[in-house]
Amino acid sequence: MSTVPVCIAGMGLICAAGDESERVFGTLAAGRSALAPPHHFHPRVTPHLPVGEVAQATPPGDLPRTHWLARSAAKQAMSGAAAGPDAIVLGVTTGGMARTEGLLAAGVTDPVAYARHAVGSVAQDLVAQTGCRGPVLTISTACSSGAVALHLAAQLIRHGLCQRVLAGGVDSLCRLTYYGFKSLQLIDPAGARPLCAERGGMSVAEGAGLLLLDDSPPRPESVALLGGGLSCDAYHGAKPHPEGLGAAAAMRAALNEAGLRLDQIDYVNLHGTGTPDNDRAEAQALHRLAPTGDLPPLSSIKGAVGHSLAAAGAIEAVIAALVVHQQHLPPNTGCSDPDPELAISIDPSPRSRPIQRVLSNSFGFGGNNAALVIGRPIASASVPPADMPCFTIRGYAALSGSGGSEATLKALLAGAPVGGRADLAKISAGLPAGLVRRLKRLPRMALALTQACGCGPDGAPPGAVYLGTGWGALSETNDFLNRLFESEERFPSPMDFIGSVHNAAAGQVALWTGATGENLTTTCPYAAFEQALMSAHLLQQNGSSLVLMGVDEAHPQLRPKLDPDAVAGAPPAEGGGALRLEAGAGQEAPYLRLLGLDYCRHGATLLERDLSERDLSERDLSERDLSERDLSERDLLARLARTHALASASQRYGLVLAGLPASCRALAERQLRVWRAATGFDGPLIDYRRHTGDFATAAALAAVWAAAMVDPQRRDPSVVGDPFPKAILILGLGAVVSAMEVVPMAEVP
Amino acid sequence: MPNLLEELPRKIVATLNLPDIDPGEIDPDEQLVGGRLGIDSIDVLEMVMLIEKDYGVIIDSKELGAKVFTSLRTLAEHIQRQSGELTN
Repeated sequence: MSTVPVCIAGMGLICAAGDESERVFGTLAAGRSALAPPHHFHPRVTPHLPVGEVAQATPPGDLPRTHWLARSAAKQAMSGAAAGPDAIVLGVTTGGMARTEGLLAAGVTDPVAYARHAVGSVAQDLVAQTGCRGPVLTISTACSSGAVALHLAAQLIRHGLCQRVLAGGVDSLCRLTYYGFKSLQLIDPAGARPLCAERGGMSVAEGAGLLLLDDSPPRPESVALLGGGLSCDAYHGAKPHPEGLGAAAAMRAALNEAGLRLDQIDYVNLHGTGTPDNDRAEAQALHRLAPTGDLPPLSSIKGAVGHSLAAAGAIEAVIAALVVHQQHLPPNTGCSDPDPELAISIDPSPRSRPIQRVLSNSFGFGGNNAALVIGRPIASASVPPADMPCFTIRGYAALSGSGGSEATLKALLAGAPVGGRADLAKISAGLPAGLVRRLKRLPRMALALTQACGCGPDGAPPGAVYLGTGWGALSETNDFLNRLFESEERFPSPMDFIGSVHNAAAGQVALWTGATGENLTTTCPYAAFEQALMSAHLLQQNGSSLVLMGVDEAHPQLRPKLDPDAVAGAPPAEGGGALRLEAGAGQEAPYLRLLGLDYCRHGATLLERDLSERDLSERDLSERDLSERDLSERDLLARLARTHALASASQRYGLVLAGLPASCRALAERQLRVWRAATGFDGPLIDYRRHTGDFATAAALAAVWAAAMVDPQRRDPSVVGDPFPKAILILGLGAVVSAMEVVPMAEVP
Repeated sequence: MPNLLEELPRKIVATLNLPDIDPGEIDPDEQLVGGRLGIDSIDVLEMVMLIEKDYGVIIDSKELGAKVFTSLRTLAEHIQRQSGELTN
């Protein structure tokens, strides 16, 4: 039995080998390498290392290179589509970093210049480009991001939430990744030579790969996503498990979903970065799945185009689809002397059968592994996925400038605001000193939350980890770049580089707790926590355990430049919330679920316009937006209706927590008025960011606050009387509209 | 050399933020990586940067690193040898 195939309706590709699928495939098939010293950016340290750079320059203007690459691939993927996608799921790690580096080095402080810094801003940009009107998710799981995004996109379609999803990955070359991997001594000065006995590392690259997936019934000539699998090594922050255990688990899960065995796969597209450790671990993982020793034909394309990080898994998914269309296997460019230790053959063996199905691997920092199976739909019966689970709340924890979980919840339950910056020493007080010695602010917060919600090694370690963050590890990012600039690009810190990736914190949680299941980091300046919850709904099976959290740090130097809420005048706030969850709702405990997550198209560019039209106050502009743009009441209601928070809200909810971000407050207030008028809800309503403080993942703190309110086991009844008896609705308003509910124990959906 | 054996442990403990380690108590001949001190391969890379920045000595391969970072003494000797060669 297999899961429902999800058809590929459009493809877009841009990388060092070309700016269009057929051309790229031609270069690959010819065995040519596109690796060369960088041309569009100029590292100060010489000699320059070979990279996989897209030949075209970024068009002049304000658009960062990553956004431009994404637009290019999106245009190709959408070229034959009659309508825009219902959702966008994009894997990204660099966002506007290439531009931000230059701005920071030049001492630019004007936030306008940084408006497209956020990793989540690339997907937002595609909303306007493609006319998408539904959920927009950004996955940041380092080098597996693109593949993870495609797996999630397929789940959106299988669950019937969307008919068409644009998904994939994108990254552009920047100093952070170029020098970061260099500092880890993971770059081969001769260019990547995957599987070669003499291989000395990878070549950093850039590009974008996007697929338009749709729910059309598969035909024999279709090429479809047949299965996907995720896992986490929980072994090391930057090295793969030496025996490839996690990689094998991801491949096995993908094959299981596709209803296939490895010997039914006609080609394996390797992660094959060319680093000694990766290629060894991946070979071991494959041998683990093929005890007889017979492996399908396989190759890595990274000797030809380099490793484009978040884009790699998506670019290689496009290549996998082309392999099936064209019945041609790309050679393993760059390897002159195959490493005998790997015990795998890269000779293009004569094929005895047509290429029907391809397995494509992507592994990343934090031990994040993903595998996809792509090919002709399988004739055997497929089973639809089980209903998406609710999540029983088994534990929860909060963190804020007011202190740890107890202090924060006590304040919130008493109606007192929390906010400001947290005390790092206090955050770390309960964590082993050896564990946190290399960790700065965000990962320490994540570990403290993990422990406080009962998921630490001495509690009930989770199977899976879902973490939302608006801005990622700003301390590590700031320190890495500062040291790079101060040393004239000579002494980048490998520690800070590993810590700077958005998924470093979730990787640390897995490492500490031994969580080898799905490990996802989602990011967006407004709804990263809700994205993480949506991902959990899409991927978790009933009975599985997970920790879900949202966390952000208020960095004194970077926040005022990057965070639109800070720019709008919100005082510093940070922290977040974590919930220990079990998939499935029972009678005996409260549960959490996401009701909807929707993107306001014109909210997307609100910050950019606010900032570039200084003569208008934010309020004026937002109100003008409402009258002039398509945010009519009817549209807004339709959007809110999709959150399912509309019908019978008055009866169902005893309390509403509404999040109105400072950067789009006027818009959010208007949305709230419309919602109240439409629902007739006249119960109590809390403007929760006035209590939690304004930060990207304040919704996580609100969810934990609600969990504490309904908790029958709450230890400190002195704060507020009995547990709250009715369901609590948590609305996120502004550029992103979201709704979650926390339901007391008596009710079961 | 005596100076190096005194200042290296201080710099290493500070750079790597090693908890509960007194720089003065690190034996010049004890195992530097993978032992009691809790120093691992990522720390080695951070030390590579430190050594290059402060002493101008480049350690650019894992094979060389494995030899040089055997102990404080091997590290100090390598730095002295290399910087001696540089000044000469």
